[in-house]
Amino acid sequence: MAERAIGIDLGTSNSCVASASGSEVEVLANAFGEKTSASVVFFAEAGAITVGNAARANVIHDPEHTVSSAKRLIGRYFFSEEVKKAQAVCSYDIIEGPSHGVRIQVRDEAFSLPEISAMVLREMKQLAETRLGEEIRSAVITVPAYFNDNQRQATKDAGKIAGLEVMRILNEPTAAALAYGFGKGLDQRVAVYDLGGGTFDISILEIGQDIFEVLSTCGDTFLGGDDFDDRIIDLVADEFVQEEGINIRNDPYALEKLKMAAEAAKRGLSVDDEVEIRIPDVLTDGDGVSRSIERTITQEEFSSLVTDLIRRTFKVCDEAMQQADLTVHDLDGVILVGGPTRLPVIRQAVEDYFQQQARADVDPDEVVAMGAAIHANSLVNESAESFLLDVTPLDLRIGVAAGLAEPVIERNTPVPIEQSRMFTTFSDFQETVDIRVYQGDSREASSNELLGHFEFSGFKKARRGEVNIEVTFEINADGIVSVKACDPDTGAQTTTSITLSSGLSHQELQTILEENPAARVQTESSPDEAFQAIAADREIQASTGVDLDSSDAAARESLVVSEREDRDFIDEDTLLEEIGEQTHADEIILDDNDLELLDGDLTCEMDLEPELPRAELLVPNPDTGASRTADEVFVDLVEEEVHKEEAVELPSETQGSSDAPGAPETEDLFDHENRNLSEGLGEDV
Amino acid sequence: MSSLLPLEIQALVKILDELDYYQILHLEPDAAQSDVKKAYFTTSRSFHPDANRHLDAAMRSACMRVSKRVTEAYCVLRDPRRRSAYNARRQSDDGNKRIQLAEARASHVTRDREERQGKTAQGRQFYQKAVQCKQRGDTAGTVNNLQMALTLEPGNAFFKQQLAAAKTPGAV
Repeated sequence: MAERAIGIDLGTSNSCVASASGSEVEVLANAFGEKTSASVVFFAEAGAITVGNAARANVIHDPEHTVSSAKRLIGRYFFSEEVKKAQAVCSYDIIEGPSHGVRIQVRDEAFSLPEISAMVLREMKQLAETRLGEEIRSAVITVPAYFNDNQRQATKDAGKIAGLEVMRILNEPTAAALAYGFGKGLDQRVAVYDLGGGTFDISILEIGQDIFEVLSTCGDTFLGGDDFDDRIIDLVADEFVQEEGINIRNDPYALEKLKMAAEAAKRGLSVDDEVEIRIPDVLTDGDGVSRSIERTITQEEFSSLVTDLIRRTFKVCDEAMQQADLTVHDLDGVILVGGPTRLPVIRQAVEDYFQQQARADVDPDEVVAMGAAIHANSLVNESAESFLLDVTPLDLRIGVAAGLAEPVIERNTPVPIEQSRMFTTFSDFQETVDIRVYQGDSREASSNELLGHFEFSGFKKARRGEVNIEVTFEINADGIVSVKACDPDTGAQTTTSITLSSGLSHQELQTILEENPAARVQTESSPDEAFQAIAADREIQASTGVDLDSSDAAARESLVVSEREDRDFIDEDTLLEEIGEQTHADEIILDDNDLELLDGDLTCEMDLEPELPRAELLVPNPDTGASRTADEVFVDLVEEEVHKEEAVELPSETQGSSDAPGAPETEDLFDHENRNLSEGLGEDV
Repeated sequence: MSSLLPLEIQALVKILDELDYYQILHLEPDAAQSDVKKAYFTTSRSFHPDANRHLDAAMRSACMRVSKRVTEAYCVLRDPRRRSAYNARRQSDDGNKRIQLAEARASHVTRDREERQGKTAQGRQFYQKAVQCKQRGDTAGTVNNLQMALTLEPGNAFFKQQLAAAKTPGAV
């Protein structure tokens, strides 16, 4: 019997862990019988760290040292809107880390978001270990379907830091559908409406017996139950200003009390027609007089506060239905996921939109963890009881001239997938190109999320347009992206598993794994420190098993996105965009529907900075044994033979295939199991 | 779980670029759409990364290569527009067995976009003029130009909808 693996729903507000064996799925409760734990981390004065429901109370008592809703910040850049928003409402300090990353400053220590999430994950892991009485090493962790590559990578890092082998990053709605349909032999099309604490996802799936195929997924990572709380907070705070002349928002303690009360009120409205918000002694005014809040909110009043939020979710639903090429009448079921879907106002609106009753047989708080556990179990047992075929939620794009971003892999394309496109140079005898990879649905590069960028050089020197640069993009089953570039003529190539600038570099991750901050967490469920130390030690060994050779290190150095450089290119984008409007921007756009293109050359001019002084060649040396894995060597061997054979049979193979015979570059460096080999774009200075 | 032997997988990887999408999915070129889906499911069961965790790293990597190609084949063959573009390329027999997805867009994506911008050059022109008129608040101009656009593209539902909106008094 294979060892057990768990499923963890790492939520914005609450997390949940489940375990499956055979056809049995169990949501694991903590010592107090609670099946969900608050995704909250409290840093006590003495250095002790508490996680979960025990930490939750400190949100009121000690808001500056209590971190909640970390999922809203994970994988984000410091300059992003969401971070600014969080800074306005959070009582803890959110500061800028290396490479535009986000750090949370608590008691003179700065923690990255993956470290904070790791503390929550470790708590869930230990809870499972206590309940199941065995060591847990592997897990499936869920993320919102609409999470981008940066957020997925960061979540995977969090899993590693927590001492888990992350077998799969699974989309939450897909997990929910799995829990709903598993073992039932269904033949249905379903919609999963997933409104969590901080994100909204809608997925349309086709369940055929045991195969779960995602037809489309759309979402909004800026919309969740927290926004519903905010509406109540705003209402009460504004009224308080009017009546008492005092702004609660300026008092962190009072604000936290109000937040708790607002969330409680929202929960109350899930069952009752009206709730009373009562906060005695919410604050003391300038004259030392204590003030209180007492107010009733009815279901109707609440509805009017949140109608626009609910309407926003349906716009997203429209999009998902259109992408799946279906209408609501084609659906056999609607599954509700996430605490906020318990609200009658939401349930009613969803049933109106989809013109059918929502399924009542799944618990919206536990269904995602259950699905993750089912999948974890089928992965460790190599059983084929259920099979998931998921899609990528966002367009994957490459930056081209005039500040535009061309789609290479469209959203809702099934994964895993690989696509290649040919590009050429912008100016004569150009030596390097800057390859920028984006995710998002805008044609303007700057409106998309930058996943990373790298310089490619070593291609032949020639007049503009005469150079061929083949860029190959891969999205794996976790939705994680990697990119490589090569010149089929010279064999020059570079490769990277794109690492976000806002996340952790390889070095940082190493350091964290060595220091193991998550192990400092004090927990009631597993006091066995010796056991933790062994587990942590094993994790460090596993992740440091391969050393980067010096040439790789040099390459990583050169790929650093420095703050200045980054600003430069944003400005340049704007500049190029303006120029592009007056010149021939249209000529370099590739998404022509004309079928003639199929026979023509697919070329596109790269957006370049020819005047800038260029760094050294950035091509990792493929002959350096130390940086190669068995897979790569194997693949090379296979390919060598392919070349031998094909060179005779098919001498005129052309572009479009990344493995084109005649192209000296064929090495496949995509290797997610050993991500530390090829990552490093986000290295800090 | 993969039922294939390591040797079979190795052999398949070797000839991957020589196989067209129909061969990869074990389909006849005239296969029905429903068969394409079935074939995708069956083939994925052998090669999808979730099915191959028990294999060693080299074999997993080989399966991944096949799995990515299987997905690609499915993306092309399941969509009528992409499929006909691919069939055209297949006829030309230039040795390239692949077509990049961006070369031929999925039909439901293009259909929507085409409708919004206009399918013909002149239709697009009149629609653009109508948009400009609308911005100036020139209702008569908006209606005229939309009617012209509709003469050129009588079936364009988006134009029809815009025209109806423009004719409604008080419409913005």
